[in-house]
Amino acid sequence: MAATTFRVFRYQPDSGDLESFHQDFALEHEEKTTVLDALLRIQNEQDGTLAVRYSCRSAICGSCACKVNGKTVLACMTQVEEAKAESGSSTLQVDPIGNFAPIKDLVVDMTPFWEKFKAVKPFLIPDGPAPDKERLVPKAAMEKVAKESACILCAACYSECNSLAADPEFVGPAAFAWGYRFAADERDSQRKDRAKLYSGEHGIWDCTRCMFCNERCPKGVDPRDAIEKLGAIAFQEKVTKDKGARHAKAFLISMKTGGKLNEQLVGGFTDPVGGAFNAPLALRMLQKGKLPASPLTHKVQDRDQVTKLMKNVKETI
Amino acid sequence: MPRQFAYYPGCVAEFSSKELNATTKALAPLLDIELLPMPQATCCGAGDIAEAKPNLYLALNVRILSEAEEMGADILTICNVCTLNLRRANKMVKEDPRLLEQVNGELVNAGARPYQGTIDVTHLLWYLATEEGLSLLEQRGPKGLNGLRVAPYYGCQLLRPSSVMGFEDPDRPQSLERLITALGGEVADYDGKSRCCGFPIILAREQVALRESHVALAGARDAGAQAMVTPCPLCHLAMDAYQRKTEQLMGEEYAMPVLHLPQLIGLALGMPTQSMEFKRHFTPVDDVLATVGA
Repeated sequence: MAATTFRVFRYQPDSGDLESFHQDFALEHEEKTTVLDALLRIQNEQDGTLAVRYSCRSAICGSCACKVNGKTVLACMTQVEEAKAESGSSTLQVDPIGNFAPIKDLVVDMTPFWEKFKAVKPFLIPDGPAPDKERLVPKAAMEKVAKESACILCAACYSECNSLAADPEFVGPAAFAWGYRFAADERDSQRKDRAKLYSGEHGIWDCTRCMFCNERCPKGVDPRDAIEKLGAIAFQEKVTKDKGARHAKAFLISMKTGGKLNEQLVGGFTDPVGGAFNAPLALRMLQKGKLPASPLTHKVQDRDQVTKLMKNVKETI
Repeated sequence: MPRQFAYYPGCVAEFSSKELNATTKALAPLLDIELLPMPQATCCGAGDIAEAKPNLYLALNVRILSEAEEMGADILTICNVCTLNLRRANKMVKEDPRLLEQVNGELVNAGARPYQGTIDVTHLLWYLATEEGLSLLEQRGPKGLNGLRVAPYYGCQLLRPSSVMGFEDPDRPQSLERLITALGGEVADYDGKSRCCGFPIILAREQVALRESHVALAGARDAGAQAMVTPCPLCHLAMDAYQRKTEQLMGEEYAMPVLHLPQLIGLALGMPTQSMEFKRHFTPVDDVLATVGA
């Protein structure tokens, strides 16, 4: 047997108390106990008012995501003793997932998550009339979207997305993993339209590449990689008007013209209009020697190799 | 014999944030490191080329790895983003011989040397935060930081994804803390140390980026830090050059001097301050220099 103190986030607005707090529950349990099993025992044995969302208990439904000592996990997939060993503490703090408004205790309002999920059109949109039999897809074509197909919409990625914390309207990692899953499906007819739909304000170019989504996903979906691949699809479909896409273009131009980043070009090219508002900062950067006074490119040796690679390498996204 | 590395400073340290490159070069001999230049090395693409043209990203980065391999030295970086891009490409081709063969085909067609997959990519922080590295520092008999209270700021891409980076637990990193303590500083701990600085989107989505960097700046300030230290020049630009803009947007004051990692080490080892080019910083570091007696 083992003993653990669970410091659980409590929020019970129905009781008239709008303040949240943490409540300690001491529990004796088997060595092999998941955080979800422990929470359900606390609910059954110590406080029936504790609200926890769960369903399958086996990492398939994606309902029980929560934060354990600050890290978003599936409660059903997390062993209590392993979590204690990892954090070096005999107390486990359990909080609701982040970037959501709480409803009650560990249950949050997932409405924005589902709205954004719907907004990416997470379904196949084939062209033409349906065939008599099923649409056959070669195995290799499905392998391209195999990782993203494993998403269970648990929102562990969404919970710790740094772009979302700064911009609540950002569509977010899970929805874009699904977006890629269909944009890259060879039966789908909306590749270019999807590239346009995903490229707007709060879209793929809002991703700040904090990599929390890849780190947290319990299913190995790597949502950031999916967002990156959607960027490549946008480039292939020539949907490159967004400032984020122009930023990437500036890197390609730098590579073509010298091999190293041309920092003056990146600033001017990314945002030629809004960039003017940054003139005072640009001036200070110039004074500090952080922007080159000359727009000359930085050339590497054997640049012809780079030129040839840029010409020859074909994209297979 | 000094330890030789193929030195990949990255574009930002070479051009915008020259003070980082200059300090690293001045510091290297004190740490028994020889930095070998890589004249053919291009930009790593900073994640942007990977996002626009993934196959091109891979070929360009493997070309950089191959240059180091020809020199017979592992790569040393001083930038989170370069580290991730180079390590990711390295992992991809090391784990998939068919992919390596494909990329080598492109390299040979372009007249570049094919890569055999024998090179490792490490960051200066990782090299120094080991027992070996810490003993190197100890041998220099550091005059120390005189209790300077320093907020470690890791940023993202030196920690995550851990499947590519793998030096330390991304949720409980300790490498900067170990260095700060070993150099006679005090650690100002706070929650925002491994959150994003926002720099990758600072030109395209400035307000979102500044709201991100606010989290770390405010956290460091509230933890009583006299300075913040970072292993990444992109984080440095976000935290230092854009600090005033973040203050204006958030209506707060941070007044937080931000040091590049080699500058913190240089101060502790008593390097001349001119060699670290603090005049290129936006937020003045005078109080830091006064505390450490530089």
